[in-house]
Order: sequence, then C-alpha cells, then structure tokens
Amino acid sequence: MTPTVQGDKIVVENFQHIFDSADGPIEATGRVDLTIPAGQFVTLVGPSGCGKTTLLKAIAGFIDPTHGRILCDGAPVTGPGRDRGVVFQELAILPWRTVRRNIAHGLEIARAPRQEIDATVKRLIELTGLVGFEDRYPHELSGGMKQRVAVARTWAADPDVILMDEPFAAVDAMTRLTLQEELASLSYQTKKTVFFITHSVDEAVFLADRVLVMSRRPGTIKASIEVPRRTPGGRDWESFTTDTDMQAIVEKVLRLVREEKTAHKKDSAPVALEAAG
Amino acid sequence: MTAIAHKPARKPVRGRDIVWMILPAIPFVLLLAGWTIYWAIVRPNMGTLPPVWTVAQTLWQITASGELLGHIIASLGRLVAGVSVGIVTGVLLGFLVGLNKRAAEFVYPLVIFFSAISGIVWLPLVIGWLGLGPALFIFLIWNTVFFLVFQNTVLGVQLVSEVLELGVRTLGGSRLHTILNVTAFGAMPYIMSGIRSGLGFGWRALIAAELVGASSGLGQMIFHAAEFHRADIILAGCVVIGLLSLLMDRLILVPLERRTIERWGLVTPGAKGA
Repeated sequence: MTPTVQGDKIVVENFQHIFDSADGPIEATGRVDLTIPAGQFVTLVGPSGCGKTTLLKAIAGFIDPTHGRILCDGAPVTGPGRDRGVVFQELAILPWRTVRRNIAHGLEIARAPRQEIDATVKRLIELTGLVGFEDRYPHELSGGMKQRVAVARTWAADPDVILMDEPFAAVDAMTRLTLQEELASLSYQTKKTVFFITHSVDEAVFLADRVLVMSRRPGTIKASIEVPRRTPGGRDWESFTTDTDMQAIVEKVLRLVREEKTAHKKDSAPVALEAAG
Repeated sequence: MTAIAHKPARKPVRGRDIVWMILPAIPFVLLLAGWTIYWAIVRPNMGTLPPVWTVAQTLWQITASGELLGHIIASLGRLVAGVSVGIVTGVLLGFLVGLNKRAAEFVYPLVIFFSAISGIVWLPLVIGWLGLGPALFIFLIWNTVFFLVFQNTVLGVQLVSEVLELGVRTLGGSRLHTILNVTAFGAMPYIMSGIRSGLGFGWRALIAAELVGASSGLGQMIFHAAEFHRADIILAGCVVIGLLSLLMDRLILVPLERRTIERWGLVTPGAKGA
C-alpha cells in the first residue's frame, strides 16, 4: 500500500451544486470549502437531504459541479478515476463475480501480475474475515459480508482516496459495530485518505480524525471537530464508550446536529434527521 | 458474524423429485384424453380430426421411413441460421440504443415502424428480391426474432443498476470494460427472455415461410399434407414442432440459465425447469 502522502489530498473550492428539476432549480448544497490532508479520516454528518451525497459524488467525479471546483492532488477532478475509490451504501459488488474475483477486479483492470493479484486478494480476504468464502457468489452471502467484499474490493485497487457513502447503513446493528472496528484498523494500517458520510453521530466520531457537521439543505459545513489521534490498534467500541474525552466530542457533535433538527422544525419541513444510528 | 452462506449441494434424486419431473406431463395427458373422448363421441371426419392413435401411427411411419428426419434437418438448419442472425443483430442494436440516447432517437422510430409489419406482408416482395433460397427464410425468421431480442436487450441494458457501473469506473474500468463486464452481464436476464420468445416466434415464422417457399422442411410437409386432406400428418407435424421447441428450451436455454443468471442470483429459479 502507498505510504502517507504529505500535503492536501482533496481540495473543494467554492463548491455548489444546483439540480434542474421540473419545479425549477434546486440547490443541492450551499457553498462548500473543504480541505482534506493526505491520510486523514474525515467523516461528514448532517440531516437527510442536506447534500452530503452530492458532495461525495462530485469528489468521485460522478457529477460536474455547478460552481467551484474540486482538486485531487492539485489536479481538477473531471470524472471517476482509480485514484478515488468509492464504497456505496447499496451493495455495488458484481453478482456474477465470486468474492475473490470481485476483490481482484481493480487489479485485473490495472493488469497487475497474477502473483500480485493473488497476494493482495489473499491479504484482504484475511483482513476482512472472508476466509472460506472466496469462491462464493454475492447472493450467497449475508449483507454484512457483501459489504466487507465491497470494502475489500475498493482497498485492493489501492486508491489514494476512499469515499464511503453510508456504507454500513444497510447491515444489522451488531455486524455494523464489527465492521466499524475493522474499518478503523484497516484505515489506520493503510494510511488512506478517507471521506466517510454517515447519519450516525457515534459512527462519525468513532471512525474519524475529524468530524464535519453539515447544515440542513442547502447544506454548508457549519463545524469541524478534531478527534484525538487513533492508537495503532485502531479503536474498539468498549473503550470508546468509556472514554470521557470521546463521549464529550460525541455530545458536542450531537448538539450541533440537533440544532439543525430544531431549526428544521421551526421551518416545519417534513424531512427527518436520524441523529443516531 | 452471521453468515448465511451455503453451498448449493447436489441433492440425491428422491421419489418425490421423480414425481415432480413427471407431473408437468399431466396437462398434455389431459389434452390427449379430451381429444380421444371427443373423437369417440363425435366421430369427426378423418380429414378434419383423426384420432390420437392414427396420428401416433403416422408419426411412427414418417419417422421410420426417414422422411421426418430430412424435414427436421432442413427446418432446424433454417431456424438456427435465422435465429442466430436475429439474436446477434438484436443484441448489438439493443446495446447501441440502450447505451446511447442519440442512437435511440434515430433507431427507435425506425424499429417501431417496421416491427408492425408482419412477414406475410414482406413475403411476396421478398421472394422477388431474394428468390426462394435460404436468404428468404433467414429474412423472415430475422423479421420476428430481431424485434423481440432488440426490445428486451434495450430494456435490460437500461435497467442495469448505475451504481454497479459507477463502482467499476472507480476501480479504473474504461467505458468499454464497464459495458463488457457490467452492462452485458446485468442485461442477461432480459436478453435470455428475448431469446426464449424469439425462438418460439422464430418457429412460427419458419413454418409460415416454408409453406410457401420450400421443397423440404416441416412447414412444407404440413402444406403438402393439407393438399391431400391428411390431417394426421398435419397434427404429427405440430407435435414434432412443439416437441423440438420444448427440447431446445430444456436442453439449451434452461441449462444455460442455470449456469449463469440463476447461479449469480439474478433470477430466482422455481418458475421454470422443475
């Protein structure tokens, strides 16, 4: 895996995206400026419909922003690329490829030598606890295992930046705790730059080096909260829930998110916020 | 970690399984019984409706004499040629239209215009253009198969989840790689469905074409029998066509689906191929 790259990995400058709809233009986001240093794990929380996913899609290169620009390693983003891997909320692995071939896909595209592919796939299958399931097809796996395959597939392609859009929202609560711990240790070991969207304040603080809070639609980034460095072993939920410093951060973020919900109620708009999850 | 992964083990064939393999024959048996009872009561003219056993006897005779085999080979050759051309052109154009909005705007009106015109309409003209040769049969079968495969392919291509395609793009896959590795696989259930309908309707077009423009083939056998009021040969021909169609489905399409779209969980088995 690539070592930590110094400097700013992702720069979002004066960004805003506006959708055209039958009822006229809709501001998907407000103005957003954001810099993500190389190797940082940044999580973004905010109410439904605030524009989190729009921002992620723009960084991924799936949409062309209406205003502003996005730089990756100083170069403008013009489309999707293998330097920015994406883990989707929907299980986006290919049903017609086995676990092994899904994880190997990025390396196959890059025409990596056979031995390198086998070694990387083996290592990621071990890291993500998929040993014994290499030759299964996705429909034979549980939701949690499918999402592990999705994470492993993205990691195997070895992108500098990994964008994750509520990747654990569709798995059961117990599995989610395990996946979060695994992700914390995987991202620590590989020093990837990660941009992670979530509804859950606990999840946001647990995983992050820095938590961003987005305001309601059209969303802007209203707060940025640093989280103390993770230890080499990553994090685990038992020590996280008993760590008073961490819980203070959770409370702070929760308060910021709740303000958005209250502001929302005043406007009596019918969009709910799932603060914890 | 709850993993509900299970290996699809080959179960031993049990008595119940064998019963279930035989049960689908019941509607056919009922049909034959109904036919026999009706025949025994009404006693229709042999030239209109012969009894089951006469048809069976005739079937045996034309089989034993080798006449039937010659017709089957002639018909199957034409069918395979026509259906293949229909599938290849239908899939290729279906992908073009499904993937490209501009292409769709140009091609769609043309396809809808021509899909309404049946082979019978073309027949007198096409005989003049192509003569009474293999090209005539291929054209008439294509004229049916193409539209079914095309429409299904377009739908299949358009229904492939965008997130699957974007996922592979972020792994570094080119547009062509994504089309070949994501879209083509994702569209397969619909393409297979188009091929299945195409095969059935291809038979219809083939027999119609053979009634007019062939010196051999099942359609010609039936047409010839009609001139002599040999309803037994006509019905024997229908039985052969129906059985061949069923065999092709069971021996080619069903196993193919089992190894692909069912294996990948794209469709749930159960609706067919018990």
